[in-house]
Amino acid sequence: MEALTTIRPELLTLTDGQLQALMPYFLVFGGISLAIIASVLRSLKPKWPVFILGMLTTIAGICSASGLLGSQAGSELIFNGMMVSDAYSNFFNIVFLASAAFTLLSSFRYLDHEQLQHPEYYVLVLFSALGMMLMASALDLIVLFIALELMSLSVYVLVGFRRADRRCNEAAMKYFILGSAASAILLYGSALLYGMTGSTNIRDILAFVQAHPQGLPVVYVLGAWLVLVGFLFKVATVPFHMWMPDVYEGAPTPVTGFMTTGLKAAAFAAFVRVLISAGYGKGLVTAVQSHFHDILWVSAVLTMLVGNIVALTQVNLKRMLAYSSIAHSGYILVGMIAGPGSEQGYAPVVMYLVAYAVMNLGAFVVLTILAGRDDSGLNLQDLAGLSRRHPWLSFAMGVFMFSMAGIPPTAGFAAKYLLFYSAVQANEIPLVIIAVLCSAISVYYYLRVLVYIYMRDPAGSPAASRVSVWSLVAVSAMVVLTLQIGILPAKMVSAAKKAVTSL
Amino acid sequence: MDISPVFFYLFAGLALGCSLLVVLKKNPVASAFNLVMVFFAFAGIYAMLDAHLIAALQVLVYAGAIMVLFLFVIMLLNADVPSFDLQRSHPGARVVAGLLCAVLLLAFVWAFKNSPSPVEPGQFSASRIEAAGGNTRVVSELLFSEYILPFELTSVLLLGAIVGAVAIAKRKQKVGAGGGVK
Repeated sequence: MEALTTIRPELLTLTDGQLQALMPYFLVFGGISLAIIASVLRSLKPKWPVFILGMLTTIAGICSASGLLGSQAGSELIFNGMMVSDAYSNFFNIVFLASAAFTLLSSFRYLDHEQLQHPEYYVLVLFSALGMMLMASALDLIVLFIALELMSLSVYVLVGFRRADRRCNEAAMKYFILGSAASAILLYGSALLYGMTGSTNIRDILAFVQAHPQGLPVVYVLGAWLVLVGFLFKVATVPFHMWMPDVYEGAPTPVTGFMTTGLKAAAFAAFVRVLISAGYGKGLVTAVQSHFHDILWVSAVLTMLVGNIVALTQVNLKRMLAYSSIAHSGYILVGMIAGPGSEQGYAPVVMYLVAYAVMNLGAFVVLTILAGRDDSGLNLQDLAGLSRRHPWLSFAMGVFMFSMAGIPPTAGFAAKYLLFYSAVQANEIPLVIIAVLCSAISVYYYLRVLVYIYMRDPAGSPAASRVSVWSLVAVSAMVVLTLQIGILPAKMVSAAKKAVTSL
Repeated sequence: MDISPVFFYLFAGLALGCSLLVVLKKNPVASAFNLVMVFFAFAGIYAMLDAHLIAALQVLVYAGAIMVLFLFVIMLLNADVPSFDLQRSHPGARVVAGLLCAVLLLAFVWAFKNSPSPVEPGQFSASRIEAAGGNTRVVSELLFSEYILPFELTSVLLLGAIVGAVAIAKRKQKVGAGGGVK
């Protein structure tokens, strides 16, 4: 019997490459620590320093991650294979940090306006972004779970940030309880996987799957199934979507924007990584493969149908965008189903996540500007005649709505085209037909917003909202990005392809 | 390693029964005390698995420190006054929920019956841990070498939770009592 070796010296040091690969995480955590210190200093009013620290942190993180994306060849395993720094994780790090940065930009004036200007807000957004970054790079189910909790815990608090508001409290409570239940399901599934495979590392789990081509134990499938349910809950697909509209409506508008983009991208990024390792791919166990395929297929169809059809009847814009967000989760699931069968692999999924993040964040920044006190004034009627009050914002909203409906020349069209094309390649013709039909339904409720903005007369003469420079910067950047990805998608496609090759 | 089935079923049954009571009791203080029992039952199971350190920590940290905090919060918040109507759920919904739970339970039982016993025991068998210097030593060494990342990340998570708690609690005087504290 060989003796246990519990201290392995090679695990106690970090090589230069590993230190470099950890740079984005160190920068963000350093920024968080500074922001916490700045928010308790009594001598200065914490609003400006914490906001600027937050912005600097995200920008530094983006710079460092994009530097790694350019220079790193292959992937760097860190901490005994607990996490990995590769093109995939760095690509998503940029997405998460950018989404956090634009959320901070659009929140600044909003928090003043709502008298919610507390420095903890910025710190929590950064914490949540750190959780997302770790989620996309976790290679171990334990790390994945802790990262998920770090992300969710911060967002639970952000959702309930407007303490005096009943709806806001209800949304936070609902999200907290249901989210914890989903985390518990995910954790139980991970425990079962660990019990069957003897490892929590997702590469080792993949090795276990590959070593059993004739079939896997039932308990393994049960565990994988529970993990799947946990993720499907986090990305809010039908039938695990019930929490989403209430939470999206109750949360402060910039937080909702952050949730639809960062949170969703993080959940999908980790979902893809784990699903592949759990045996979802060509050439692995056929029974498991088709089992997962069927679950995802049913969920994707239901998600697209329910999301799009219920969105038709919504008059509150935040609720409408919540259902539209559910529908978009359905499209992304289509990409995940097609992943193993098409030659682009999961690149369309990554591309779609980016396009969706850009256009949706843009739409929510516009809503944040327009929101009245306590997020009132976000119904369709309130937008009537907006083109006369805010011509530039109306144009921006138009671009985002066209993009979400998937009309060229916008990012939404390019992403949808790529996604459906890969599904055709994977021979998922019925799925593509349903997806395209759902997409056609969605044009109605997206363009209805524009009808109100441009063609209806307002009731009375509503005053124009004050637009802060920060929000204007955010909206303009999103419009430019939406059009740029739409007109010249090649660069983004190749970046997405590079990201998924490292999976 | 032998586990006495009598004690296993005793502790497991105790854990299950008390967990159910945690959910079903209407008085939060009673729920909290049942939770203490759950923690003790877990500690018993851990001890039977030769994880004596974890068993001791379970009693000290969970049943001791954390539950005291729980009870403090419950009593300070006066949470034994129900703030919402517990009878609101539809009786039909209860039946459906019960049926679904039963189906899920059967699925689990079937799955565990039809699976081979788990893969060969891992490297951390009782005798090898004994040879390497005992539970405490092995756990602490692993925690600071192989599992350093999750360990440190937990600290980050706790820091985030503290900031969140401050954000929730700080404005309480201004807006008056409302909502619960998580």
